[in-house]
Amino acid sequence: MCLCLGRIAAIIATVAVLSFVLVSYSPIDPVDAYMGTRILTISPEHREQIARSWGLDQPAPQRLATWASNLARGDFGRSIIFNEPVMDVIAKRFAASLWLMAAAWTMSGVIGFGLGVLAGMYPGSPLDRGIRVYALTLASTPTFWIGLLLLVVFAVGLGWAPICCAAPPGVPMDEANLLQRLHHLALPALTLSIIGVAQIAMHTREKMIEIRHSEYALFARAMGESDWGFVRHHALRGVALPAITLQFASLGELFGGSILAEQVFSYPGLGQATVEAGLRGDVPLLLGIVIFSTAFVCVGNLAADVLYWIVDPRMRITEAL
Amino acid sequence: MKHTLYLRLVLILALLGLALPVVDTPCLAAKDTLILAVGGESADGYDPTRGWGAYGNPLFQSTLLRRDADLSIVGDLATSWKLSEDRLTWTLTLLQDVKFSDGKPLTAEDVVFTFETAATAAGQIDLSSMTGVSAKDAFTVVFTLAKPDITFVDHFITLGIVPKHLYGPDYARRPVGSGPYKFIQWDEGQQLIVEANEHYHGDVPAIKRLVFLFTEEDASFAAAKAGKVDVIGVPSSLARQNISGMRVHVVKSVDNRGLMFPMGKNEGKVTPAGLPIGNDVTADPAIRKAVNYAMDRQALVDGILEGFGSPAYGVADNLPWDNAEIRIKDNDPEKARAILAEAGWKDADEDGIVEKEGLRAEFTIVYNSKDSLRQGLALAVADMLRPVGIKANVFGHSWDEIKTQLTHANVVVYGFGDHSPQEMLKLYRTPGVEPMYWNAGFYSNPIVDSYFEQAMTAPEFESSLSFWKKAQWDGATGFGIPGDAAWAWMVNLDHTYFVSECLDLGESQMEPHGHGWPITANIHQWKWTCK
Repeated sequence: MCLCLGRIAAIIATVAVLSFVLVSYSPIDPVDAYMGTRILTISPEHREQIARSWGLDQPAPQRLATWASNLARGDFGRSIIFNEPVMDVIAKRFAASLWLMAAAWTMSGVIGFGLGVLAGMYPGSPLDRGIRVYALTLASTPTFWIGLLLLVVFAVGLGWAPICCAAPPGVPMDEANLLQRLHHLALPALTLSIIGVAQIAMHTREKMIEIRHSEYALFARAMGESDWGFVRHHALRGVALPAITLQFASLGELFGGSILAEQVFSYPGLGQATVEAGLRGDVPLLLGIVIFSTAFVCVGNLAADVLYWIVDPRMRITEAL
Repeated sequence: MKHTLYLRLVLILALLGLALPVVDTPCLAAKDTLILAVGGESADGYDPTRGWGAYGNPLFQSTLLRRDADLSIVGDLATSWKLSEDRLTWTLTLLQDVKFSDGKPLTAEDVVFTFETAATAAGQIDLSSMTGVSAKDAFTVVFTLAKPDITFVDHFITLGIVPKHLYGPDYARRPVGSGPYKFIQWDEGQQLIVEANEHYHGDVPAIKRLVFLFTEEDASFAAAKAGKVDVIGVPSSLARQNISGMRVHVVKSVDNRGLMFPMGKNEGKVTPAGLPIGNDVTADPAIRKAVNYAMDRQALVDGILEGFGSPAYGVADNLPWDNAEIRIKDNDPEKARAILAEAGWKDADEDGIVEKEGLRAEFTIVYNSKDSLRQGLALAVADMLRPVGIKANVFGHSWDEIKTQLTHANVVVYGFGDHSPQEMLKLYRTPGVEPMYWNAGFYSNPIVDSYFEQAMTAPEFESSLSFWKKAQWDGATGFGIPGDAAWAWMVNLDHTYFVSECLDLGESQMEPHGHGWPITANIHQWKWTCK
């Protein structure tokens, strides 16, 4: 476990330094982005003053050193576009994204696993072929496009779903009730879940077919176990392994996908803030988000390892040896 | 039989996930609530001392002065404003019974606090010409300047006054002021909810509650089509569409686009930062004038702006400091050819491009490659120049490349537009050694500079107007087209909105560069006309 945490720390440090180097080569000038066309209302001297107040007058290596030493003390710095501590921005935005990601993650897990088991149960059947076509179509379709399509059909055409936001216009977020929140969550979450569904369904299907051809499957059937009885009592555990790996490994994709889904549905989460930070050259915020998401993905992978250990007794035996 | 039950359950679950049946929430907006999608989210909050509200209006706060519908300066918090004989001291008297929305009175102390805070904030407000501000008594404020600067009046018009007793690190996210509306809630990235301020010193707004949606363009438009929005700002490309229950509202603006010419010859000089300066072709005034005359500005408006705009001749068309004498009759290739011929440009080798002393009339127009409007304008202008024998090569570059390599040696498409003659000053006054955007073409004319000097030292803003106009063209020289033709301005954009048929917006002010939020400048006068 200690080794794991050490590795995570090393990964985060590497990612942070790499991101900083990349961002420092970005052509975006944060001061110009901040002033926009109002640049003429200030003097070149004032422009320098703004840059100085953000520490941009320092050379890049020195900025990195300052930033890293602050980070070591737990200070992520101040976002220049939001003018508040980076951690506050992330906390606020992540609260909204968490709803979205949790919903999408659960949906993709449940739907993907369900479809995969079904398809694997009856390989070659029309049901299986239908599911495969569905999964392959999803896998080869860009998320944002699906999002737009859903928006056009369900929000604009049918008027069932809201067009934007995380709560109805005019209702403060903290006064919106659960139903309203879920209503606004439905389309973005569905869009985001699509990333995971296809992968999980197809891998689960493969594993299911493999297990159905195993000797213990033959034995179980010979004992008179029915199709679904076999799935429940014998196959689920084995089938779950690839699904768990994929489900937790998909946290990274989920993070990336949320950026697109949030843009399409004007959902005010961390994804939106990431785009803003990139477009306006907000280095502290961008790096804060990078570190946060790296940690998030690492923890996801760690969780998968731990779950393996619980689900698959063989893991425990190997470790005991 | 047991399997089929399971099978069904799984199927139903899967289907539920695929097509979540969603309940339509009831529309909560009553008639006293307006929903607007006109932008206006200020990511760093609503603190005027950092720059909030300088375009349009600060909404939550009020300003010392303001511009009315025809852009004349009128009092808001101030009842009188006087500039001393030496032009270094402004004395303003305040209204006496103004209250912040928390009921506490607004006094000279608050004004002093606001300006002092803004001066040190390193935000979007540049108060470097102010040397001091003090309260003479509870309702008199005195500002002192380092040198005469008539454009300092801009700060009286744009800087919203914040309450000293409530200001703190959280202020930007919980603003309190004396404006027509008070802050209720801001869900970042999503919406801003405000309500009429019953303590407002003007007429309390008729519309009680406003919700500003911060959605992307497409989402806003879709919301308007679904009837969920009362006012929406749209790009002119969408303004020809129909939305039932809404009408198109077109507002004139000084949101302009123009071509900046490098004024000097390319003599191998570079700025201290290493940027090359000068262009041999555009250094010739005949070329710059020919471009101005050859261009068909109305065709640009009709073709590129879909008719939502007007021809631009100067940096400040139709503003109080605009000199109408710089208007020319354009779309005149004959005149352009005559100007070129008179200056010695001839097409000796008959390739369709004129030359002079071995130099071809050829230059590069660069535009910000992200901006399709600028691209369209640049390409169209290049086509218009070809028949008179000028070859313009059009290239899109990232803004960073333009700024760090190209801006002083090539023709650049720029866009500006502000409610202040300060912009003219910054674009045409003799620049420093490293001008960046501030007069990137290195334009310099001592007579123009002297008019600027006289404008800056004018006894009051109104009397500065004639000098701003003379800087453009005084009958003999100026930076306008008849004079040095330092720029070729192309178009002024119209800002287009869809507005509910039930909403009366009063008289909209001519808007600055920003499209969207500035429409709220007279929001306290808006009225709902349906029952």
